[in-house]
Amino acid sequence: MNFRTKWDVLGAALDGTVASRVPNGPRKTSMPDYDNGGDTKAPHPGLRRLISRRLIFRTDHKAIGLRYLWLALFSVFLGMIMSLVMRIHLVWPGVHFPFPSGLDSSPDRYAALTLLHGSLMVLMVLTAAPQAGFGNYLLPIQIGARDMAFPTLNLLAFWVTVASLVGVTTAFFLAPQAGLTLWIASVALFCAAALANALNFSVTTIDLRAKGMTLPRLPISVWAWFINAILSLLIFSILLAACVYLLADRILGTHIFSVPALLSSAAFNSPAVALPGLWQRLFWFFAQAQVYVAILPCFGITTHLIATFSRKPVWAQRAVVLALCAVGLFGFCIWGQHTFASGLNPYSPLVFGLLASSLGLPASILLMSWFGTLWNGKVQLTTAMLFALGFVSLFLAGGLSGLFLARNDLTSTAVSDDFITGHFHLVMGVAATFAMLGALFFWFPKMFGRSLDERLGKIHFWITFVGVYCVFMPMHWLGLISHLHLSPEVMRTVATAATSAIRSLVTTATLVTIAAQGIFLVNFVRSLLKRSEAVEKNPWRATTLEWTLPSPPPIGNFVGAAPVVYRSAYEFGAIANRTEDFASQSLKPDTESPTEPGGGGPSLQPLPPQAGL
Amino acid sequence: MPGTHVVDDIELIIEDIGGGGGNKPPAGDDDGGGGDGDPHKRRKPAPTSPRRYHTAVVLAMLSIVMFFMALAVTFLVRKMGGDWVPVRLPFMVWVNTIVLLASSGTLELARRKQAAADLKGFRRLWEVTTALGILFLIGQIVAWRELVAKGFYVSTNPASSFFYIFTAAHGVHLMGGVGALLYVLFRNFTNKPLTQSVAAEVTSHYWHFMDGLWLFLLALLYLGK
Repeated sequence: MNFRTKWDVLGAALDGTVASRVPNGPRKTSMPDYDNGGDTKAPHPGLRRLISRRLIFRTDHKAIGLRYLWLALFSVFLGMIMSLVMRIHLVWPGVHFPFPSGLDSSPDRYAALTLLHGSLMVLMVLTAAPQAGFGNYLLPIQIGARDMAFPTLNLLAFWVTVASLVGVTTAFFLAPQAGLTLWIASVALFCAAALANALNFSVTTIDLRAKGMTLPRLPISVWAWFINAILSLLIFSILLAACVYLLADRILGTHIFSVPALLSSAAFNSPAVALPGLWQRLFWFFAQAQVYVAILPCFGITTHLIATFSRKPVWAQRAVVLALCAVGLFGFCIWGQHTFASGLNPYSPLVFGLLASSLGLPASILLMSWFGTLWNGKVQLTTAMLFALGFVSLFLAGGLSGLFLARNDLTSTAVSDDFITGHFHLVMGVAATFAMLGALFFWFPKMFGRSLDERLGKIHFWITFVGVYCVFMPMHWLGLISHLHLSPEVMRTVATAATSAIRSLVTTATLVTIAAQGIFLVNFVRSLLKRSEAVEKNPWRATTLEWTLPSPPPIGNFVGAAPVVYRSAYEFGAIANRTEDFASQSLKPDTESPTEPGGGGPSLQPLPPQAGL
Repeated sequence: MPGTHVVDDIELIIEDIGGGGGNKPPAGDDDGGGGDGDPHKRRKPAPTSPRRYHTAVVLAMLSIVMFFMALAVTFLVRKMGGDWVPVRLPFMVWVNTIVLLASSGTLELARRKQAAADLKGFRRLWEVTTALGILFLIGQIVAWRELVAKGFYVSTNPASSFFYIFTAAHGVHLMGGVGALLYVLFRNFTNKPLTQSVAAEVTSHYWHFMDGLWLFLLALLYLGK
């Protein structure tokens, strides 16, 4: 890939393709020709054409996936700035920032900061990047398809997500009540886009798999995206309904979530008090399942990375798939963990606590699989692998605190909100981010045709790893301290001193960690802009289908005939007739080199059983 | 446009792989949803596997069910709010129900005609279905006006709010259905990946689903008022 003009750079960043598109490559007859007919020698179009052809209307799933990743990158930095502002305000309240202090600095503003931080991170980063970003890019390729089932719907969903992002951020600058209405409307838009994406992903995985790509042969990453899509289909509708009702309350003046004051002269018995619980229940039914939507693709990516860099098949692969399904299923059933204070049946903690604790079972299966895959493997500690291992560590740490939170009796007596904040940040905030960074380091060569610098990547990893532990572990201590049964005098002096010391530690660590992300940015931008190196097709020696394609893959992915899949997804180890220690999924069982896809009929010899433990 | 024959062959192979992996034979005479197995016909761009549209509509229906379940559950919980004043359903709603049921009937008749290759009959009945669908939507607006004339606006009391919200939500989804009906009527299906019979089949699933959904909402509003 060579950058002839500055538009090449922009184009590469947007969709990863510049001059690598294949002339006369396959394309659907009904798709309009946005690529100069694949003519690589045509003079480059000016900015206007670049914008309309390549920025706005590209339906290629790879382009759309990359756009989601850019959206997520922008949102994550914005969200980090929000968190930094909040942390600094906690420890040094007197500090005046030129910009946010200009806005009316009131408790409303601080609450708006929290809301913005949360919605940006959970929606725009954790739902956009692992699922819509990497999923859009890689799912069709990994199953051997040319594109998603509904490319135009894909494009539409992306732009609706962008509109949602604009709405969510603009809401911050409006007056509190108007801003909140805009925020709710934007979230409703996001739900619609997420539903469209989920539909696309599910239909693609069900119907567009290549010949030979049976369900057991699907890579775990694809399984994770698929299960996630089914889950998203079910839960985003609920948030959409809740937002519709809330907007009706705010705009049309209905009283769905409130009882009008003039009727409160009637006996104010418990059913009326339960009404705020109505919104809580609707919201948490969505939101608790949503956190599993955020983490499921990360499970898939981590499993994929660990298998690839241990040069071993996934240990207990079928159990892993079942565990992923179980996480999705159980995630549906524990919304009550958030509503104990609002008048549930007194027996409900028993039910919800039991279900929430049961989540430990699939989580343990996943952890065992990761450790089992690593055991006796020829572990290669590339940056991507480091991030995957970091994910395992952080998920374990955050998950252990989740065990406490699953039991309402423990939670209510032993911990405070900081404990919960520490818990979910460790799992959602950091573990998921590590999985995304691992995915980025792993698939960057495929997406852009060049690799990220490994040394810078490792430095960035270690600083971030230590940093996030320093940021979020102390929050658990804060939560435990606040419930110590000490005498009031001791509480007032010792505990307060300890608390403020811990808070300062957290804020300092936050500053350092966020600053360290600069290393990543430098690495990322430098690698994007450097003169292309000819990165080989399969630098990591991985088995899935995307590594049989050029970097970046052309429009339509598979040039010529469609691929035929002969092997399962993680064939590592000694393989008959092969000098390499891995076999690509489209490699015919009795040949030396990867087959040109679409060869003769499938000669599926029974393959040797996976060399497991 | 690059060489047509090359594209045709690739379209053929796309058809080979359509329909969900596994051990399908490489010959391209599998589902064509409306295309026949005549090998000479293969030189035209073969239809993409119609399975994706069926899968899509089934999953979409699942998602829409969840949406309306959330709406319904809120309704049931809100009724316990202590300020519930039942609202009598406007008469027009029952007329609309008959209209919608009739449209489902004509839709099925239309599909029978299509299966019997009576395209003229199919079109006529399909147009009737579309007209009935639009009539339903107009009738809903008339029902709203009936309610407004009695003094029940969307914010008057919770019961009226739910009536308006339920009918509006259903109406919006039904408008999508009407769009699909119009698509089947007016789209030029020659040389397109999607055939008219597949489009009609998928639309019929959705339309009957909308019908059933309306009956459910009506039962909820009527029995729960």
